[in-house]
Amino acid sequence: MIPAGSLLSADGLHKAYGRTPALDGASFSIHPGEVVAVMGPSGSGKSTLLHCLAGIVTPDRGTITYAGRELSAMSDAERSALRRSEFGFVFQFGQLVPELTCVENIALPIRLNGTKRKDAERTARHWLERLEVEDVGAKRPGEVSGGQGQRVAVARALAASPKVIFADEPTGALDSLNGERVMELLTEAARSANVAVVLVTHEARVAAYSDRDVTVRDGRTRDLEHTA
Amino acid sequence: MTLLDRKKAPAAAPPRPAGPTGVAAWFRDLGLGIRLAAGGGREGWIRTALTAVGVGLGVALLLTAASVPHLLEERSARDQARVESRVPGGPDAQAKKSDTSVLRINRETEYHGRSVSGYLMRADGTHPALPPGVARFPGADEMTVSPALKKLLDSPEGRLLKERVPYRITGTIADSGLVSPGDLLYYAGSDTLTSADGGHRIAAYGNPEGGKEMPPILIVLIIMICVVLLVPVAIFIATAVRFGGDRRDRRLAALRLVGTDIRMTRRIAAGEALFGAVLGLLIGGVLFLVGRGFVGRIEVWNVSVFPSDLVPSAALTALVAVSVPAAAVLVTLAAMRSVVIEPLGVVRGGRGRRRRFWWRLLMPVAGLVVLLLSDKVEPYATVNPYPIAGGAVLVLVGLALLLPWLVEACVNRLHGGPVPWQLATRRLQLSSSAASRAVSGITVAVAGAVALQMLFAAVGDEFNRLTGQDPSRAQFYTFSEKVDPEAATRTIQEFKATKGVTAVIGKVEVYVTRPGKYPEDAVQPTTSLIVGDCGTLRELARIGSCTDGDTFVVHPRNDKEMSDWVDQTARKGKEVEIDPGAGRKPMRWTLPADSRTVVARHDPLGEDSWGIMATTGAVDPSKLPGATTQTQIRVDESVEDVAEYVRNTAARIDPGMRVASLKSVARDEKYASVQRGLQVGATMTLLLIAAAMLVSQLEQLRERKRLLSVLVAFGTRRSTLAWSVLWQTAVPVLIGLVVAVAGGLGLGAALIAMLDKKVTDWWLFLPMTGAGAALILLVTLVSLPPLWRMMRPDGLRTE
Repeated sequence: MIPAGSLLSADGLHKAYGRTPALDGASFSIHPGEVVAVMGPSGSGKSTLLHCLAGIVTPDRGTITYAGRELSAMSDAERSALRRSEFGFVFQFGQLVPELTCVENIALPIRLNGTKRKDAERTARHWLERLEVEDVGAKRPGEVSGGQGQRVAVARALAASPKVIFADEPTGALDSLNGERVMELLTEAARSANVAVVLVTHEARVAAYSDRDVTVRDGRTRDLEHTA
Repeated sequence: MTLLDRKKAPAAAPPRPAGPTGVAAWFRDLGLGIRLAAGGGREGWIRTALTAVGVGLGVALLLTAASVPHLLEERSARDQARVESRVPGGPDAQAKKSDTSVLRINRETEYHGRSVSGYLMRADGTHPALPPGVARFPGADEMTVSPALKKLLDSPEGRLLKERVPYRITGTIADSGLVSPGDLLYYAGSDTLTSADGGHRIAAYGNPEGGKEMPPILIVLIIMICVVLLVPVAIFIATAVRFGGDRRDRRLAALRLVGTDIRMTRRIAAGEALFGAVLGLLIGGVLFLVGRGFVGRIEVWNVSVFPSDLVPSAALTALVAVSVPAAAVLVTLAAMRSVVIEPLGVVRGGRGRRRRFWWRLLMPVAGLVVLLLSDKVEPYATVNPYPIAGGAVLVLVGLALLLPWLVEACVNRLHGGPVPWQLATRRLQLSSSAASRAVSGITVAVAGAVALQMLFAAVGDEFNRLTGQDPSRAQFYTFSEKVDPEAATRTIQEFKATKGVTAVIGKVEVYVTRPGKYPEDAVQPTTSLIVGDCGTLRELARIGSCTDGDTFVVHPRNDKEMSDWVDQTARKGKEVEIDPGAGRKPMRWTLPADSRTVVARHDPLGEDSWGIMATTGAVDPSKLPGATTQTQIRVDESVEDVAEYVRNTAARIDPGMRVASLKSVARDEKYASVQRGLQVGATMTLLLIAAAMLVSQLEQLRERKRLLSVLVAFGTRRSTLAWSVLWQTAVPVLIGLVVAVAGGLGLGAALIAMLDKKVTDWWLFLPMTGAGAALILLVTLVSLPPLWRMMRPDGLRTE
């Protein structure tokens, strides 16, 4: 059943890699502007749930609905177009294209939507400023620190004005200070732009930035409302 | 005193033995590298296998090239062994009749574009000389054939040839009687062959003096072909040694963490490369041996070789065995100089040092100077191969050295553009070394090929002769030495009746003289009497209107003296004498008084005929004693196998009749075979380069598997990434082609100057650049399926 007013929801998701089940009847929903943390131990199926919700991986069974449209009924090209225009991504490793400068990296998803290079790079610079890394714009990812790189990745996820951001362990490779600053910037920017954030993490202090937690264990989900 | 103070100080650790130094350290680190390459798990084995297979392919080609001298020697020896032994008295002198002598006639023909050699032979005695590879002299209407010809005759494809060679197969020619396994050769027996049929008597086989030496220009061409084909192979081996270098660098970074210093790391890397190279040597050896086993069964552009001929020279094999591992170590050490491997696993290209231009330019310029300062190649002088080969190697290797600098300089100036272009150019800006390495092979191959094409064009006049023949008026001509007036008429009739033949220019020719007695020192006026139908005579002279029974006096064009000479015999209303030869009584014929005087024209063979021309209504050709027949045949080329029908008719009329195709240009056979050799070699080299580019491309894609998955997560279109891969291949290849064209034209011009010739065509680089462009497309197309696979979301999984 789709919860009322939800932007993205999933019900009864099943996904197996070979004989190993990754999702076993998982459900999920998120509203616009909401930050939901998906938690669970390693191998519990968190990332698979995120990949299914983002239309990167097709579930074996179950339904995923985004803004009233069934994701599994879409073609690969339609899902790609959706990811380009409506979704943003932040990953733990390897998300920045090493040969592009930070500005070009942020401009990349905007350009993939057909925006002209100069306009895309202007928007990218604006986001660099908002994420407090305006001085790294001309540098390549290999020339900036891990924290700066992750802020650039967040800027890139936000730059194309997505409706949902999927963040898979966004602070996994950062120290706690940098990690917390990245989370602050991500959630602030997302909330101010009414962007929903699906945040996969196994760290409680990262999950603390969310409005709601969903725990995944053995491929099944359990919803927990934040009380504090 | 505290408890701590009372505590006994720990015993000093025994001094560690000092690590090996010098040569011993080298051996230790090389050994560690070898162990890492051999036991480095799946990743290590993939890298080692890539290097070993790459080096192996290169080594197999080098061993093939090292076999060429032996191959040529053996082929030439067998070829000379089946040539008739010369007898004193000039090239046309015949042997005396004896118990071992053989009368034979060359029955060489062509079938589906391939040459079929054959002899019709008649033994003079009971112990006839046997050609090499033939165990028994074939009886009448029997033949001994080469295995390839037997296979052809037994197949449906050989149906028409069987009509032409109708003898019963009673034996097979052994390898010792064949130049190559693809030879189409037969020896047929006859009990009717005579000298009058064109038979030539021989006493034995074998020419101990060997064949004619190669002209110096061809030697220059062969040297250049060797250089042009082998330098890319050497570059390919150097590239293969660096396959999987990024993964190796990461492993070495881990070793740095546990205490290896930079020099040790380099030696370990050299050890890894050494293992791959030695394994490559073994694989190359196995590939060569396996390929050698199969080589007898394949034929490329009519070139085939016996496995037993492919024996690499011992000195060259030793050179390959030593230089390949040594090159692997040197290349690795040189490559490591531009990489900074730090203990925390960070591997960075040493970016501080920009590539310098001047020393890279030094080599090609030095090569050009060597070539330009070398002695000119004289037509009959001995060629000194060293300056040519050395100069060409310097130019070509110098181009390969120039390329990384040029690629870096060019890609650094590329900005903006659509997303695929930006991804590609930025990738190249970050690191263009791998791309330059992959492209250097094609640059050298194309530069060499451009230079060779220019050379071929410049020296072509020496080997390609304009025949003056006009293949649009007739496509074949036949000539029979058989002197038989009746056969002349029959020949023309039978060709006219042959399938696909549209016209026959058939002339029956006999010499006629002016009757009378002449002093011994005077020359009796003589001219030709040519008999044919109106159609034939129209092809030979500008006769205008013609009806059967007409006769003409034909003068040569613009030659008053010769015209006067014709007129001395061809007197209208007067008799001419036809010499029947063999002491028989001359025949007389009166040239009609109303004969018109006309001018000769070139016949389709490009020759002029003059004298008296008569239609068959005026002179019956079957009554002309001692006449020879020559036909020129026009065919409908849309009729399948029309050439074979013509040749079959000729063989039926007279087994000794020669049939040849009319060609506007005649090519020297040695020149043609050198060009064929280049074709075979260039194809193998280009395939090798394509393989190197593909491996390099796939390796880069593999390294970027995770990034590709992330880009797909963003919703990046497949086409965007495909275009980016295409540009990433195309940009360095295009720069490489520019270098190749410029270098090739320079090298070609220098070589042509050495031969004292002139450049005939500056645009000959176009086909090779086209081939280079095709290679880009091929590599991109083949890279796409793995690219699609690597774009799957699996790359995002970390657990």
